[in-house]
Amino acid sequence: MPESILNVSSLVKRYGTLTAVDGISFDVFRQEIFGILGPNGAGKTSTLEMIETLRPIDGGEATLNGLNVKSQPQQVKRIIGVQLQSSSFFDKLNLKELLELFGEMYGRQVNARELLAEVELEDKAKSQVAQLSGGQKQRFSIAAALVNEPVVLFLDEPTTGLDPQSRRHLWGVIKRIRSEGKTIVLTTHYMEEAEELCDRVAIMDQGKIIALDKPQALITQLLAGGFTKERVERLANLEDVFLHLTGHVLRED
Amino acid sequence: MTSFRLKWKLFLASLKMLFRQREAVLWSILLPLFMILLFSFVRFDGMGRLDLGVVNQAGESGAKLIDSLRDVKTLKIHEGTQEEELAQLEKGDRELVLIIPSNFVASQHRELVAYTNDARPQEAQLGGLILQRILDELAFAERGDAGRVVVRTQPVKSRNLTYFDFVAPGILSMSIMQLGIFGVAFGFVALKKRGILRRLFVTPINPNDFIIAQVAMRLVLVMLQILVMTLVPYFFLGLHFIGSFLEMFAVGILGAIVFLAMGFAIAGIGKSEDQVAPLANIIAMPMMLLSGIFFSRNSLPGFVRAVVDYLPLSFLADAMRSIAIDGASIGQVLPQIAGLAIWSVVAVVVAVKMFRWE
Repeated sequence: MPESILNVSSLVKRYGTLTAVDGISFDVFRQEIFGILGPNGAGKTSTLEMIETLRPIDGGEATLNGLNVKSQPQQVKRIIGVQLQSSSFFDKLNLKELLELFGEMYGRQVNARELLAEVELEDKAKSQVAQLSGGQKQRFSIAAALVNEPVVLFLDEPTTGLDPQSRRHLWGVIKRIRSEGKTIVLTTHYMEEAEELCDRVAIMDQGKIIALDKPQALITQLLAGGFTKERVERLANLEDVFLHLTGHVLRED
Repeated sequence: MTSFRLKWKLFLASLKMLFRQREAVLWSILLPLFMILLFSFVRFDGMGRLDLGVVNQAGESGAKLIDSLRDVKTLKIHEGTQEEELAQLEKGDRELVLIIPSNFVASQHRELVAYTNDARPQEAQLGGLILQRILDELAFAERGDAGRVVVRTQPVKSRNLTYFDFVAPGILSMSIMQLGIFGVAFGFVALKKRGILRRLFVTPINPNDFIIAQVAMRLVLVMLQILVMTLVPYFFLGLHFIGSFLEMFAVGILGAIVFLAMGFAIAGIGKSEDQVAPLANIIAMPMMLLSGIFFSRNSLPGFVRAVVDYLPLSFLADAMRSIAIDGASIGQVLPQIAGLAIWSVVAVVVAVKMFRWE
């Protein structure tokens, strides 16, 4: 049995009469990439934000690396890295200055160049966030989440809105970060992304987890139930055509 | 200590952002400076009336002379002690000051002294002639002969404060208010709306450290405003500045704290720029118009005055003006400082209650 680093049990979030997260429980294992999938409004972001200490927990518990999220939020903040779905950064500071400032917030003096190299932005050290492309912004946002060498990294829809090249590039970055010993929890509504990246996925709908397993195991279960696709399995899809024609090279301005 | 380091780093970062955002500096310094420049063209002074100060040391017999002087439409009579009236003359609020000595008897006196404003010789001469004529008439009525009392005029070096000297420190005070209220209210709502604050609170930062850094950054800007908006008018527009910058800074910072706190309170109530704008205006506008920035509060009806005298901008503008053009010391503006101190406590308490991070 792998070691659990994040334990969530019977977690609840309510907004007025709406129960956005309805008593969900799961474990995230050390050094895995754990995906939370689901349509918009399923409760993915609310779940993440409760664990990230950004929203009050209305019921249940979350324990991260032995720390209770509800009662020890400051300690939790110190050991997690967070990329918010729509976070922006100060204007008028360049990437290097931003990373150094964020480092100071954790009482650390970071090596900004190294962090930028990690997300392949070293040549943008003197640029401001406003001058970055969508994919570069997301990568910078990940670099900012790494300033405190977090134990667990949370990524909320990291590839939403990116073109296929940028998305694949970001997948590479995320895999490399995991290979350096970090645990990653991410949300997405791209299934091929979940299949490519995640060791295990939880599928959420209407505030509940309706399935949780390795992607291949979920597919096997589905097929075992007698499921067949309407069309014959193709050897390539349109995305393959697109990437074949436009190449894997990043397009960034 | 680590917390101090973070505050310092946040402060430096805030300053960096400020000075890289040229519009912000432009808005808070060059615009009010431009306003001051425009007002330097306005001349409300010297509109065909002579301000005559009278120092009556003779009691009854002097009062009779003063009554006669009051009948002259061209003269505006101000009575006071010699010290007061000469001070007014020096400031330029009097064209002449007539001294009626204690031994004055209209029918016997040979000579009276009138001090005049050296920079306004025409007015002084005209005033002297009017005085002479009135005294002649009085002497004639009483004695029937022309044994006249001679008015001897004596020029006094005057600073001749103008409307511009009144309005420039006022505009400076007003721009400190606007920097506080509008700068913070709009700045923080933008930080909230764009999710920048949210991203900050993912980190273990103490929110107050960020507020302190932001306040410190704005206080630097206030000091810059004071310097630029005093020195430029002094060197290029003839502002009669005789104050001390140390005292200007002290009062300016105290005032800025009141308005910064108001800005935080507004940023707490409003969720977007659209909500913040009317709120900020409804607080700032009455002060801008009534606190004696562009015209003296003396011209307001009594019941309005009773209220606006206690507005924070009134305290700030009065203190700034006294320090800048009368060279007042901190001790001489203690009532205004006390007023601002009370306001700052009230405003900070309200801001703490109202301000919301999200």
